[in-house]
Amino acid sequence: MKFSRLIVQLLLIVAVITSIVMSFFIWTNTARYQRGRNIDVTSAESNKNEIPINQVISPTQVIWHDDSDQHLIYNSNENISLSIQKVMQDWKIEQPKEVSKKDGAYYQKVIQGKNMLQMVYPTSINTNVFGYLLGNNGLKNGKSLQFNRILINLKDKKDQNIYLANDSNYAVYKLKVDNASAVPITKLVDKANVNLKVRLNIMKHGVFTFYVDPIKMKSYSYVISGKKDNEYTTALFDSNTNGLVTSEDNNIYTYSYGESKRLTSDHNTEELSFDDYTDTSVPKTQLAFLQRGYQKVIDLQNPISNLRLYSATWSNKNLIFREYVEGFPIFKKSQFGSIRIKFSRKGSSEHFLNKVLEVPVPSTQAATTLKSTNEIFKGLQRVGFSPNDVQEVEVGYQWEGETDNEKVVDLKPTYYIKIDGHWKPYNEWTNESAEED
Amino acid sequence: MDFRRIEVIFLIVFFSLDIFLFLSFRNSQQLVSSSSTNTSTVTEMRKRNITFGSLDTKNGYAYYLGSQPSDELAQNINKLRNQEVQYDIVNHKVSSTLANEIAVTATNKKAIMDKFIKKDSNVLFGDEYTYSPQLSNSSQMVYVPTGSLGEVYDKTAQLVFTITDGKVVGYTQTYVKSLIILHERQVVKSEKDVITNLYANSEIPNNSKITYANLAYTKLLEAKGSTIYIPVWFVTIKNKDSKVTTTKKVNAFTGNIIKSSTNGDNYSAQ
Repeated sequence: MKFSRLIVQLLLIVAVITSIVMSFFIWTNTARYQRGRNIDVTSAESNKNEIPINQVISPTQVIWHDDSDQHLIYNSNENISLSIQKVMQDWKIEQPKEVSKKDGAYYQKVIQGKNMLQMVYPTSINTNVFGYLLGNNGLKNGKSLQFNRILINLKDKKDQNIYLANDSNYAVYKLKVDNASAVPITKLVDKANVNLKVRLNIMKHGVFTFYVDPIKMKSYSYVISGKKDNEYTTALFDSNTNGLVTSEDNNIYTYSYGESKRLTSDHNTEELSFDDYTDTSVPKTQLAFLQRGYQKVIDLQNPISNLRLYSATWSNKNLIFREYVEGFPIFKKSQFGSIRIKFSRKGSSEHFLNKVLEVPVPSTQAATTLKSTNEIFKGLQRVGFSPNDVQEVEVGYQWEGETDNEKVVDLKPTYYIKIDGHWKPYNEWTNESAEED
Repeated sequence: MDFRRIEVIFLIVFFSLDIFLFLSFRNSQQLVSSSSTNTSTVTEMRKRNITFGSLDTKNGYAYYLGSQPSDELAQNINKLRNQEVQYDIVNHKVSSTLANEIAVTATNKKAIMDKFIKKDSNVLFGDEYTYSPQLSNSSQMVYVPTGSLGEVYDKTAQLVFTITDGKVVGYTQTYVKSLIILHERQVVKSEKDVITNLYANSEIPNNSKITYANLAYTKLLEAKGSTIYIPVWFVTIKNKDSKVTTTKKVNAFTGNIIKSSTNGDNYSAQ
């Protein structure tokens, strides 16, 4: 009698525990199931014509120092920097160790080192962002250190490190690398079909890439595309466009949705600006800052394959993206590049141009030979700008000869110079051509 | 109060609860497996009696290519023998009527014509073309140029033989001298991406067969006197009931399905 009662009680306890355990599994499992659905949604989105983040945030210059000289290299058939990053994704990169800091002479030696391949970002990023882009969780969650150059020694087999360097404080970091081989990178370097002799000089406003000899640059042509205002409003205002208020003044169209969002489209200049006063959270980490900026760029839904992060200013949460052609930035008629994004507690704002390079077309223009960078500095000096006044110098492409009927734009190379915070082509500063006679 | 009876009732209640929980647990697990995207699309397609071979999941690379119109055909046209030739200057196109018709059957036509085009006096630059069964039918044999960059499926670069009553009677030919790379290589959609995308957009009917899926360059637009080509997936679908075949085109860069315009010549790939 007693024994059977004990069995009933034992079974009861077992049944109760089983039900608790089972409920636990179902709860956690449902959560997993729902998360699984989210993953499906994102993978379906990535199927769209989206350019991955590591293509937008990417080094744009590749500089190779062989046994004798330093060269800026490029392969017009395959983006060397993107391919090297792909190779680096398989490397096991360990935490950074500081080698030196604030030592200009040592820094110059590092960035001019022989057998070194370096990839240069247009703006500095930190090692957390770098870790995220390479899929390296150790770096992503580790110490955050700013840098703008990646250096890899391709010849010295004993040097099992990559180096990160920061132009703004001359810091150099060493990161140990396992299971890495220089062979695939050397192959990519050998395939380069653009090869310009350069010298990296440290000047008052940072490290400048000097083209030692006059450089021969190709011209390019692109079909440009734009979108109608209503395509932007559907993309930027949440699908419900019923409450949209439209006004027009002097060919400047304004679309607003209550007090929360406003799009201004200037049909004269084809510049647009979008303010979202509901987006008041300011990114807390640099990674979040760049990720959110990238997402906004994607939401503008332009073909962005040529777009690169050009400048990221953490202090005022300002991002600038520019289009690039074969490693060189494109300067349009606007001051802000192609897209400028700003985050603040009052809301986020985006400025962008409704003109995007879409389809490359064979150029009918001959190649241009530009003066050496030394000549450019001499020319600037002749009109009263000392080398210390020059904040930045870049060889870039400017829009030219936009034929209205064909929607084709020509890109011509020239030197762009930033003085007093303003970018202008060399001929506008000096009234002289940047081309070699 | 009989405490023992309460215990037994509780035991029965909890036991049935356990069974219920176990069943719902299993159900949710099945949901997980059916929610995984692409593989399930493929099984779903098979269930709907859509026949196809194994799908390549690898993303390749391709370029924007450009070509300038060439009069290479016109310059060499006097090399051709035993045929009546016309040259269309606007479209840079040779139209030829063969003096001696060539008898072919469905089985031997490829072998016979492959040999025919090798000779310079029969067809100019014939060795640069290969037979494309996807574009051909019983009254037409289409040859496409194959270069190191890939095949071109386009009217601006094609060799088309006309077959009437089992005889090849003539051909038309367009020719692109050289293609230049206009932009660094870009990732293209994989075969599997393209076919599952077509299915998701109801472009593949039930009870059909995917007979061909090829990646080839086709004309996107003309600008500044040049022709621009982009990579496009050509997917041919044969309806098993009506035996009708249709070819869908998908922009390999963007994955957008290209709706052919009425003349089938100019379209926007966006």
